[in-house]
Amino acid sequence: MSNEWILWFDELNQECNDQVGKKCANLGEMTKMGLRVPPGFALSLEAYKDFMFLTGADMEIKEYLDNVIHGFEKIQHFNAASEELRWIVESKEMPREMSAAILSHYQELCQRWDMKDMAVSTRSAGASSHPGQYETHLNVRGDQDIIEKIIKVWSSTFNPRSLSARKRVGAPLKSDPIGVAVLKMVNARSAGILFTADPNTGDTSRMIIEANWGLGESVVGGEAMPDVYILDKASLEIIDRKLGTKGRCVTFKEVGVAEQDTPTEKSCTFCLSDEEVKEVGRLGKILESHFHVPQDTEWAVDQDLGFPESVILLQTRPEVIAQRKKPVDQVVDLMLRRFIKR
Amino acid sequence: MLHPAYDLTFYEFDDERDPQIYEVLLCDLVHGKPPFKPLYIGLGWYWYVYAISCTAETLHLPTTKGWDYRVRDGYPYLTAMRTSEEEAKAREPIFKEKIRPFIEDFDGVWDPLKAELMEIYTEAKESRGLKEWDDIKKLSNIELLKFFLDYALVINRKEAETHMLMLVATYYINGLFQEMWRDVFGKEAPIDPDFGKLMTGFEAQDSRVFRELWKLARKAVDMGLEGSFKSEDNEAVLKELEKTDNGKKWLAEYKKFLLEHGWRCERMHAYDNPAWVEKPSLAIGRIKMLLSQKTFVFDDEHDRNIKEREETEKKVLARLSAEQKEWFGTLMKSAQRSGYWSEDHGYFCDFYVGAMGRWIVSEFGRRFAEAGCIDDPEDIHFLHAFEIRKAAIPMGNVNLRPYVERRKAAWEKSYNLDPPPFYGDITKAQDVLRSDPTLSVSTQVPIVREELKADLYGAAAAPGMVEGVARVIMGAHQLPELKEGEILVAPGTSAAWTVAFSFIKGLITDGGGALSHPVIMAREYGIPCVAGCVEGTQKIKTGQKVKIDGDLGVVYILNS
Repeated sequence: MSNEWILWFDELNQECNDQVGKKCANLGEMTKMGLRVPPGFALSLEAYKDFMFLTGADMEIKEYLDNVIHGFEKIQHFNAASEELRWIVESKEMPREMSAAILSHYQELCQRWDMKDMAVSTRSAGASSHPGQYETHLNVRGDQDIIEKIIKVWSSTFNPRSLSARKRVGAPLKSDPIGVAVLKMVNARSAGILFTADPNTGDTSRMIIEANWGLGESVVGGEAMPDVYILDKASLEIIDRKLGTKGRCVTFKEVGVAEQDTPTEKSCTFCLSDEEVKEVGRLGKILESHFHVPQDTEWAVDQDLGFPESVILLQTRPEVIAQRKKPVDQVVDLMLRRFIKR
Repeated sequence: MLHPAYDLTFYEFDDERDPQIYEVLLCDLVHGKPPFKPLYIGLGWYWYVYAISCTAETLHLPTTKGWDYRVRDGYPYLTAMRTSEEEAKAREPIFKEKIRPFIEDFDGVWDPLKAELMEIYTEAKESRGLKEWDDIKKLSNIELLKFFLDYALVINRKEAETHMLMLVATYYINGLFQEMWRDVFGKEAPIDPDFGKLMTGFEAQDSRVFRELWKLARKAVDMGLEGSFKSEDNEAVLKELEKTDNGKKWLAEYKKFLLEHGWRCERMHAYDNPAWVEKPSLAIGRIKMLLSQKTFVFDDEHDRNIKEREETEKKVLARLSAEQKEWFGTLMKSAQRSGYWSEDHGYFCDFYVGAMGRWIVSEFGRRFAEAGCIDDPEDIHFLHAFEIRKAAIPMGNVNLRPYVERRKAAWEKSYNLDPPPFYGDITKAQDVLRSDPTLSVSTQVPIVREELKADLYGAAAAPGMVEGVARVIMGAHQLPELKEGEILVAPGTSAAWTVAFSFIKGLITDGGGALSHPVIMAREYGIPCVAGCVEGTQKIKTGQKVKIDGDLGVVYILNS
């Protein structure tokens, strides 16, 4: 059973969505393509299901939901159910066979890189993309922490926003199997996102990079004003750059991470060199031409490695481009804004 | 106190109640000076005001239910009837659907409506066996009355509905374009030469008419008739032409032209000025002016205008981001077409329906005078439509003089008045104007730029810098006073003045925004023009030397 629970990234490709979730499948595909991605392995949807079944969590969850007297009409209903359901999941001990399999993969990873208690991240990977819905844990170290954080990623399928999202589309509340990616932490000096086409306009001739100091979470979450670079896709020339305020950034602690104020000397300088910007762009072009659609890619610059090895891809997915209104409808909207809603 | 309006109900000005209800009422100097006569207020103007409301309801304009008008001392004052917030919200989604076709394909809306109007005019004449101006004398009193009623209730109404529908759409579209122009390029559209260039190089119906006139002038030269046009008196010119075979031949051609294109009055509104087809000598002055022109000025300018417009389109779009380009391009195209409509519609709307109204009411004037009901045929303009109806049959039973005398006295008094520009709270004017961009048809404020230290500020209507001697012309009847190379200073110009554009050096007008007639025509003819100066005809005296800067929209008076 264990070989269905855990797969190395190089055993995966983009066809494996349903088996391990999109993020893992894409990491696998990128590994196969020979691109620089952090090494690691994936836990399958099967592992999620078996954990719930073998620990009896699934029955307890079903029972709780069967006995709920409300119909999830209020935010409090979701909050209360989430608290209960997450406790059900997180209070269970992982079956020995499963934890042994996970830990043996972790040990192998540590040995390959010759690191004791290597820092990893545990990231959720839904079969369909739910950006921001589930949880990710950064700077996870050691056997106990890893097992704990994997269970936490699973239990995040019962967080209030996931419950309400399932309720909205009429999906069952009792279970939402997801994959988990366990990958080596990048010791990021800077990180961020790349859009291989302008997400606001759909302009495919330009790429947009948003970047901040530290880990990419501050950029992905949209809290800090990042540096922005606009690249001409064909030539990779930087057409425009805007210095972000980068007020906050996310950095490592001993265990886990912390958000802190960016020191002034850093917030007023660009966090990428031009060659790094171009390298991110170059990798984005490879991804876009491989997947045939514009990509929304997470990347980081590892401070322990030399350029260009330092520029590492963390994730990629098809970019969501704002649904563009027909020009005539844009004109009508402008007319209303100008003459009517003053 | 209720100020009477020539016995017209709902037009009286209540100086306590009206400023309270409407906050501010603005004088419509663009149309209403010289003051309208009573018949027109209750007929043509009545339908225009109705049609603005009709359009507001048809298009579900979110912020306005149309305009309301009051007449004070003979001058029209207007204000917008604004919707409540709830009404606005309910109208919005429907408005979005209704305005879309105008943005998508402006001509696609206008062309069939234009054809429908021409059909209505043609049918009105043909079904009565009328072709020439004097044919109307053949109608019996009851036939003439029926024609009058058809005109008053159907033809005039249809024209007004079409006219105002297109006008409102034009001002929403072009008004938005001017606003976005300012946003995107940081310049006021009316004083940006690039904006002017974009609106130029479309051939309106009027230019076609003037090409026909120019061809007639060429023909007169070719037929050796130049000598017949020597007389100052245009009536004498006609008589002179009658004397020769070639002259007769030419007159036959001229008549054919008038029957097709002569349904237009010197003043677009009001029925109180003769139409070309009624008084053939009217267009002779224009032909005289064109005799010396070997080529048609408009054609000379036309290719250059088109080229310049296309270059400007490219230049403007190149300054935009990929995302802006799409909506801006769509808006620009519909703004250009609507700008062109502004020029094109005069022929199909104002001119034709005005001349037809003139045709019918002046015939009634003639008959009433003949029957002894009034003294002068032109006194008809001081009667109301329902009075004409009642007095028409049996003809001669009613003495209409007392009504005429009273109203004529009131009109003459107001003619010599300088009307105040507004009543009520002028600080509310901006709100009222914003609630309906169409209001700028009738009101405007010049963009004053003190740093230029000019004597007059207006819209940069047509580019170019020129110096010359000013000639102030207050009405079409004064046009023959104009001399070649002078700078024309006028309250505004109707399309009937277009011929003057062939030989003036520059143009300054009191009224008219970026879409007004003089502005568009000046661009087509390549004459520097500053429009909408408000007080040009007051500040400038004939004979003064003035300098026009058509790029900046300012005028300098060089000697006082």
